[in-house]
Amino acid sequence: MEGKIIVVTSGKGGVGKTTATACIGAAMAMQGRQVAVIDMDIGLRNLDVVMGLENRIVFNIVDVVKGRCKIKQAAIKDRRIDNLFLIPASQSDNKDSLTPEDIIRLSKGLRGRFDYIFMDCPAGIERGFENAVAAADEALVVCTPEVSSIRDADRIIGLLYAKSITPKLIVNRIVPEMVARGDMLSHEDVVEVLSIDLIGLVKMDDKVVIATNTGLPLVLQKDSEAGNAFHRIAQRLNGQPNLPIENPDNGKGFWRSLGRKLRRRN
Amino acid sequence: MFNDFFGKFFGKSGNSRETAKKRLKFALVYDKLEVSDDLLNDLQRDVVGVISKYFEIDTSAIKLDIKRSDDLSALVLNTPILSARRR
Repeated sequence: MEGKIIVVTSGKGGVGKTTATACIGAAMAMQGRQVAVIDMDIGLRNLDVVMGLENRIVFNIVDVVKGRCKIKQAAIKDRRIDNLFLIPASQSDNKDSLTPEDIIRLSKGLRGRFDYIFMDCPAGIERGFENAVAAADEALVVCTPEVSSIRDADRIIGLLYAKSITPKLIVNRIVPEMVARGDMLSHEDVVEVLSIDLIGLVKMDDKVVIATNTGLPLVLQKDSEAGNAFHRIAQRLNGQPNLPIENPDNGKGFWRSLGRKLRRRN
Repeated sequence: MFNDFFGKFFGKSGNSRETAKKRLKFALVYDKLEVSDDLLNDLQRDVVGVISKYFEIDTSAIKLDIKRSDDLSALVLNTPILSARRR
């Protein structure tokens, strides 16, 4: 078994990296793969609370690297989703506690134990980013349809290319109503500006906040549009690269399409 | 006013999407043209080395700069030549 390491990154903070990591990792595990999600945000850990596993932390990634415990001891098993493990960040250290070489060394053990390893990258382009991408085979870049987020994504994409990684793009928090009225960049706009391949489009979904509030995995909720979008992203990563990317503009309702027609005439 | 009312009613608004796209494209082009001082210093050192093989120049008066206009950027090098090197 030779696992694949996928880094989830964005440059800008607060665009949904941690949520995306938790959701895609969980969805992948639900598809029967052995999955580890690793919080690389040393000093500012959050993947544990998003996943609802914060009460079960004993060891962390820094402990593993420093040889204070084995990977197996630090990997917290999710009791709701089989095959899903979290390796949390340390809260008392900082980004300089690890080096890219540490992560490359660690990656051998990880690849032997899991099919997919998702690295939740911290915001920024400094050491934390370097650590998170050090051993990555693939990269997912998350951005929202906002100018600041897209500009940072462009910078990150450039840095990933320099490391010979061709990333795939997730456009998160799309509000189709705003796109329709010309007040939000569409995913076509974002792809045009960044000129990289898409791997998924995620609508703005209140259920994400609720899932984070409760620590219950979003991907277990069948009626969550964002959760379903993350499920499909996991499928595309997991051997179905051609699964069509659904357009989040769900203007199927009669009143909505009528409204749009009238608007066009205006 | 009528249009305003209808605009609100049907959710029409300004076209901030196009504005965002234009600003973004512009920002990205400019970001990529930004060159660090270190890079410029290294370049100057190398260029001086090459020119010095053929000309005697006043290395203290040399000036390397990036000039930007709307649609293109140019690398501008200004140096007084003291004499050509005879071979």
